[in-house]
Amino acid sequence: MNSHIPFQIPLSVSLRDDARFENYDPQGNELACATLKAAARGEGEPFLYIWGDEGVGCTHLLQASYYKAQDLKRSAAYLPLDELELMGPEVLAGMERLDLVCLDNVQAVIGDAKWEEGLFHFFNRMRQENHHLVMAAVGAPKQLGVKLPDLESRLNWGITCQIHSLADEYRRDVFVKRAAARGIELTEDVVKFLFSHSSHEMRDLFDLLDKLDQASLSAKRKVTIPFVKEVTGM
Amino acid sequence: MSTELWDRCLQSLQEEFPAQQYNTWIRPLKASPDSPDKLVLLAPNRFVKDWVSDKFLSRIRQVVCDVSGDISASVSLDVAGMAGAARGMRQRPVMPSRARPAAVAPIPAATPAAQPATVHAAPAPVAAAPVSFGVPESAEIITPPTVSEARESLFQMPQPELPLGHEATLSTTSMVTQAPVSERLVEVEGGVRHQSNLNNSFTFESFVQGKSNQLALAAARQVADNPGSSYNPLFIYGGVGLGKTHLMHAVGNEMRKYNPNAKIVYLHSERFVADMVKALQLNAINDFKRHYRSVDALLIDDIQFFAGKERSQEEFFHTFNALLEGGQQMILTSDRYPKEIKGVEERLKSRFGWGLTVAIEPPELETRVAILMRKAVEAKVSLPDDAAFFLAQKIRSNVRELEGALKRVIANAHFTGNAITIPFIKESLKDLLALQDKQVSIDNIQRVVADYYKIKVADLLSKRRSRSVARPRQVAMSLAKELTNHSLPEIGDAFGGRDHTTVLHGCRKIKELRESDTDIREDYKNLLRHLTA
Repeated sequence: MNSHIPFQIPLSVSLRDDARFENYDPQGNELACATLKAAARGEGEPFLYIWGDEGVGCTHLLQASYYKAQDLKRSAAYLPLDELELMGPEVLAGMERLDLVCLDNVQAVIGDAKWEEGLFHFFNRMRQENHHLVMAAVGAPKQLGVKLPDLESRLNWGITCQIHSLADEYRRDVFVKRAAARGIELTEDVVKFLFSHSSHEMRDLFDLLDKLDQASLSAKRKVTIPFVKEVTGM
Repeated sequence: MSTELWDRCLQSLQEEFPAQQYNTWIRPLKASPDSPDKLVLLAPNRFVKDWVSDKFLSRIRQVVCDVSGDISASVSLDVAGMAGAARGMRQRPVMPSRARPAAVAPIPAATPAAQPATVHAAPAPVAAAPVSFGVPESAEIITPPTVSEARESLFQMPQPELPLGHEATLSTTSMVTQAPVSERLVEVEGGVRHQSNLNNSFTFESFVQGKSNQLALAAARQVADNPGSSYNPLFIYGGVGLGKTHLMHAVGNEMRKYNPNAKIVYLHSERFVADMVKALQLNAINDFKRHYRSVDALLIDDIQFFAGKERSQEEFFHTFNALLEGGQQMILTSDRYPKEIKGVEERLKSRFGWGLTVAIEPPELETRVAILMRKAVEAKVSLPDDAAFFLAQKIRSNVRELEGALKRVIANAHFTGNAITIPFIKESLKDLLALQDKQVSIDNIQRVVADYYKIKVADLLSKRRSRSVARPRQVAMSLAKELTNHSLPEIGDAFGGRDHTTVLHGCRKIKELRESDTDIREDYKNLLRHLTA
């Protein structure tokens, strides 16, 4: 484990405070979850690649791994490549010294020759250092249209898992639990209303919960159907 | 006369042999100008001579007879520059040979000593300093090292935290052993320290031999037995994930076994470039030179990434010459034959071919099965034969992806506590297999083949029988037969309602042509790679 990280921090990347394993229902994705937790501990397969449609929870899982590593006092970084694309692959320089690196939205840089070569070299450096690299993208390695064969074969080298969307009943359950953790009590009617009027993507549901949470705190009102209508305009 | 005759024979042989065989074994042969009456072919070293003599000489003789019109034409093989060893080359016997006198090959004629290196005084470009980046908030931030500190650590990796020879432990939750990279540092004159970066798990014993890699393995063993003298440089090339890096490490590990003090350095080409850039920035280029020229063996992976990096190529060129002149072993890998690497100077490419160039081909089914069985043993899991065959049939592209698929299956088996069976593999890899099935559907094969031959899918399905359409159609049928589980009648139906005997005839025709026609062989190989990648 590295105790010294000789780098500055000019980047602010979008991390959600509540993207934790405790807030993730692993139903259907147990293997991915267990493998990511092990990676955060510095155990098991050093290369993991998870993929799935937008909103299925890849970002949540990657950030949860990052937080878990931090909790264990291991050095880690979460890097959403869609946000860092313009900085070029130099952004990865020296990152191999971290115990865990989580690269999100890998598809954003695929097709760019410089980035592909940069990722390939980074992969080799991580392997040389015996550190863990977890990646997430919207498709399997073969679906990304990787131009550099050396990179594509490496994306397939470790454990690759498709992240499956939670069934609706589980989404409801997760949503209600998440709300309860914030001290918001949701009646069955409110939940039914929300699910019939909003997107079922977990990301959208969590954004909605944020909005309701803030509005209910500032208005000092309970979350009821009229309140939801007022805040969201549904 | 001999040279001219041999040039004509080469044209014929090039058409006859697969590109890799031709490039590896036939192309390096030169006609000796000293024997005007008979054709004496000079091989660059004994290994090539022996191999050609064993495998190709009778065919070469036949071609020479045909081309010259002389049925009694005499062809013999010799090793080029047998006198080369006595040419006063500075030989530094740093690495003891493993006493196999018969295997000690003569030094190739084209030694660096015979071709003095040109010294270029190119201005030293200074690369931009690395940008800073994000780390967790809890991480301690320390200031960048001073120039003198940086110079001290220039050619060292971070200090090892583990005892020498430490083997990474098997994870508690997973079956995968972390690659135990050697952290061994070797002191040399002038205080330059070498870190070998050798991966202890990449040995000859753990390398699964098959038809596709036996030449490369034989050459690598020879080099390990006689470093710096037999085949220098050893150039291994082939597609991704086929074991080039494994073989390279295996040579290094074997050399170290017999000479624990040997200074063997493995690195990726990117690292060489990065070190050089850093050395230029810190005005420490002489340290850089001393470091890389004081090794007993230098192993550089993926040298195609030198492309376009002129200053690095310049430096590598001089390092290369110095090492060869000093009798120090070099092993290089690339994804293609040296002459085909784009963006690399000709003089470097020609030097890459001075020693022995060997190819690694994608493993055939039996080798893939053997690899899976070996990996399963290493992971201490039980993998039944039929399950290994099933997986090997499904994943055909390269060893790295095969290994990835097996890791996933094993992880799932550990997680669920189930035994590995064919149904279990199907379940564990359902997303991967679904993607693959989609990729190798008859529809997709037709699209890819039509695109490859620049014709329309409708042409493939039409009644047209002109060669320009019929041949691609037969190729597509053959691929459908090989890559899908569809029956001959089903394939016939999918190709415009043709009879199953037409499909059978097409498959047989393509099988025949793949033996005799270089173009069809290449086309088929390319399409197969594309569809199974």
